[in-house]
Amino acid sequence: MRSWLPAVALGGLLALLALGAVLAFGSGAQPSASERTDALARELRCPDCQGLSVADSPTRSAQEIRRQIDELVAGGARDADVRSHFVARYGQWILLAPSSPAYWLIPFVVVAAAAAGLVAWLARRQPPVADAVALSDEQRRCLHEEVEALDA
Amino acid sequence: MRRLRWLLVPILVVPLGWLLFTGFGRDPREVASPLIGQPAPSWSFSTLAGNLLSTDDLAGRPYVVNFWASWCGPCVDEHPILTGTHETFGDELTMVGVLYQDAATDAEAFLARYGDSGYAHVLDPDGRLAIDYGVTGPPETFFVDADGIIRAKQFGPLTDAIMAERLAVIGLDG
Repeated sequence: MRSWLPAVALGGLLALLALGAVLAFGSGAQPSASERTDALARELRCPDCQGLSVADSPTRSAQEIRRQIDELVAGGARDADVRSHFVARYGQWILLAPSSPAYWLIPFVVVAAAAAGLVAWLARRQPPVADAVALSDEQRRCLHEEVEALDA
Repeated sequence: MRRLRWLLVPILVVPLGWLLFTGFGRDPREVASPLIGQPAPSWSFSTLAGNLLSTDDLAGRPYVVNFWASWCGPCVDEHPILTGTHETFGDELTMVGVLYQDAATDAEAFLARYGDSGYAHVLDPDGRLAIDYGVTGPPETFFVDADGIIRAKQFGPLTDAIMAERLAVIGLDG
């Protein structure tokens, strides 16, 4: 039953390594100011919409947030500075994605822990008892003789 | 071990039930403001009457900033409470209305219909002040103490009881 365990462990390890590589290297090219503004606008929640990003919304608040992102980026602010400018006003709520990419790992860790718990529980259970094997008359007679020989 | 398994039911159900019970009692649109305890934003805007009003004019006294709009239903309900508070406290408290995504003419029509508030309303044409205060939709009201620190926020319409409670936080007892 445990023959598939190493395969699952290897698969999980490879997935984590791939995720780490994507997070660490990403795309190498330096994004332009307008690309950064677009990316940040997609990350920020439009305050007076239902679950839309600033990039997807035409409301006045969304336009003003976009203008402020433009201004901050042009003023030399880093992406993290732009995020914290809005988090200081709205709290973490304004961010559509978690503040650190590490948070994306939480569901994978929970699923892996649950799977490990299930495997441990299954492994501890007694293996099922084999069904009683039907004996032929000949075997029954042999057994009977052997028991009597022991008793004697 | 087998007996402990019965414990799993309360261990899982009680916190989950508590989470759902308290979660459904809250308005999911209400955002906890990180501005409580922080200095209030500085600004300078023209008022409906055409004057310039800035935070420098408000310094040294507690003030209330109310974001509202003529198209906002609950703003009609809280309008007499705001007007009444202004009458009660007079010079002890400055009240400021901020138009949230609204035209000056519509706001004037609102005040003509429901009664002039007696205090100034500033225009926030780009919504910059609303963003500085982290407003998601009117009505929202902020209570700033005499030192210029935001001490309380009301999300949604005010009632007499809520108004009294929030005013007490900035040192005003009715």
